[in-house]
Amino acid sequence: MSTVEIRNVRKSYGGHEVLHGVSIHIPDGEFVALVGPSGCGKSTLLRMIAGLEDISQGEIAIGERVVNDVVPRDRDIAMVFQNYALYPHMNVRQNMGFALKQRRVSRSEIEARVQNAARILGLESLLDRKPRALSGGQRQRVAMGRAIVRDPNVFLFDEPLSNLDAKLRGEMRSELKELHQRLQTTTVYVTHDQIEAMTLADRVVVMNGGNVEQEGPPLELYDRPQSLFVAAFIGSPPMNFLEGFVASGALVLDNGEQLKLPIALPAGERIVAGVRPEHFVIAAEGWPAIVSVVEPTGSETQITTRIAGHIVRVLIRGRTDVKPGETIHLSIASSHLHVFDPGSGKRREIGG
Amino acid sequence: MSAIAQNVTRRRKSRLGARLRISAGVIACFLFLFPLLWMVLTSFKEQRDIFTMPPTLFFTPTLESYVTYLQRPDIWRRLVNTVIVAVGSGVLSIVAGAMAGYALARIRLRGAGTIGLLIVLSRGVPPIALAVPMFLVARKLGLTDKHITLILAYCTFLIPYVMWLMRGFFLSLPKELEESAMIDGCSRFGAFFKIIVPISLPGLLSTMIFSMILAWEELLFALVLTNRNASTIPVAIQGIAGDTINGANWAALTAVGTITVLPVIVFAMLVQKWLVQGLADGATKG
Ligand SMILES: Nc1ncnc2c1ncn2[C@@H]1O[C@H](COP(=O)(O)OP(=O)(O)OP(=O)(O)O)[C@@H](O)[C@H]1O
Ligand SMILES: [Mg+2]
Repeated sequence: MSTVEIRNVRKSYGGHEVLHGVSIHIPDGEFVALVGPSGCGKSTLLRMIAGLEDISQGEIAIGERVVNDVVPRDRDIAMVFQNYALYPHMNVRQNMGFALKQRRVSRSEIEARVQNAARILGLESLLDRKPRALSGGQRQRVAMGRAIVRDPNVFLFDEPLSNLDAKLRGEMRSELKELHQRLQTTTVYVTHDQIEAMTLADRVVVMNGGNVEQEGPPLELYDRPQSLFVAAFIGSPPMNFLEGFVASGALVLDNGEQLKLPIALPAGERIVAGVRPEHFVIAAEGWPAIVSVVEPTGSETQITTRIAGHIVRVLIRGRTDVKPGETIHLSIASSHLHVFDPGSGKRREIGG
Repeated sequence: MSAIAQNVTRRRKSRLGARLRISAGVIACFLFLFPLLWMVLTSFKEQRDIFTMPPTLFFTPTLESYVTYLQRPDIWRRLVNTVIVAVGSGVLSIVAGAMAGYALARIRLRGAGTIGLLIVLSRGVPPIALAVPMFLVARKLGLTDKHITLILAYCTFLIPYVMWLMRGFFLSLPKELEESAMIDGCSRFGAFFKIIVPISLPGLLSTMIFSMILAWEELLFALVLTNRNASTIPVAIQGIAGDTINGANWAALTAVGTITVLPVIVFAMLVQKWLVQGLADGATKG
């Protein structure tokens, strides 16, 4: 087990910079998720930690050791790839034991460790099968098994669950979490699925276009997103945004409609107000919204409404008898209103 | 009703299509196999039966040509030479060509694709243009009429060929396989030999056998670069065919031809089996 220290790391491909100085400190035993939209540089960063890509500038240290010039095999890491990369000519046992064999671990010890990993992952009956005779979920497990028999300093995962169907993904997610609680190995987990990141990680790093937008515990990102980008990225369904200027305690939209604000803001300023769908309350008074679609799922109901032509999504627990075409009133607690600067996209801290 | 009728006509049409395809296949096979059959038949004929008109399909077969020619010691020596040269250049070209193809497939280098293409285009140079300079170089180095000279000469066209085929093959393998191996404790070479080579074995073997066949039947370089010691079978055939004093001995020619072609057919069948097996394995899908 080890810390991972990423210091002002940059990466260029032939003059084109894709990572613009990323710094992340990962304490020993922590589970960190890297999230962000496609192409933001998550895999590139992970591959630099693994040693599969050169570091153009900056430093990466695993434990005390700066690893910029250390080849992958000497970094004591294990990586699980999106396509699993199981060795097709080896059976499950050989796949899992391969790394240990390369390190000249004794045969009996390899067998013991493979058996142990197979037991943890429920692979005992599959040890003699070739990868092509396994289902997607089983292959995924073998890939994880290959990582855990190593007992490495750091686990690296690059979207390991994205090739599985939704149900299996949910199951594997829980198993991964359990596995981390048991092994307590430092883990860097890349995903573009914010739910995966939120549920698995101790800390989430949101990346955008080669920069770190924000990092912190999952609920902090949810409660206090520091930018419009993070606000829109974290949470599902995503946060609603309405832009306008402040006048006499209300948000004035571009068509002149006035929405009363639950907090006092300096008049005359232009802001973006953000409210999560689940934070609206249907009340007697509040923002008037015309219902266009009602989608019940049983435990909760998603209502799509329009406020002055802007789509606003509302999520309420339980069921409702609201009908399309009706006008409802949405009220918001002051603590649930997020205010952003429309120019910079940064969060505006508000008193209280 | 009309849907059913349509369905029936479609099926009838597709049955007709299948028949046409099969007929075309039969005709193609006949066109390719007939000369082969003719050669084998002729090799069992006596000289006087060969040119009868109409040709005799039924005759008393004789092993005369085989017996006379297989008694000539130079035929045996040539056979051995051909095996040495074919195996030698097959093995050398697969080792060098596979590694070069791997480098071209994996190493991120500006212009790697162009380099690869240039190497392949070099095959466009007519061999005759290379044969004479090669002869001069070989003579200068005292390497004329040696196996190694022919092996190296064949490698000049076999390596690019192998390289290009194997490059395509390696490109179809996910690069995460080697990356995974390198994280697991291999060097780049280790990953190549422990992971990539075993996975590519069917492809490597069939490519090697193709190379061996090309070397087996090569005439021009063999004619120019060897004369007694290292000369190969195709040269002998050319000698028999070009015998201006006695005229071509067709029975002998076809007998030696049959002996030459036989291993090629066996090899080609082996290759086919491996290729099919390789495809069926889905070896490239993790
Ligand atoms: N070998 C390469 N050569 C040039 N550019 C590259 C290379 N690899 C990645 N890039 C670029 O670097 C950027 C980051 O890529 P990266 O694969 O890290 O994205 P990602 O965040 O993992 O995206 P995804 O979620 O789609 O996997 C992209 O713009 C990509 O085009
Ligand atoms: Mg990626």
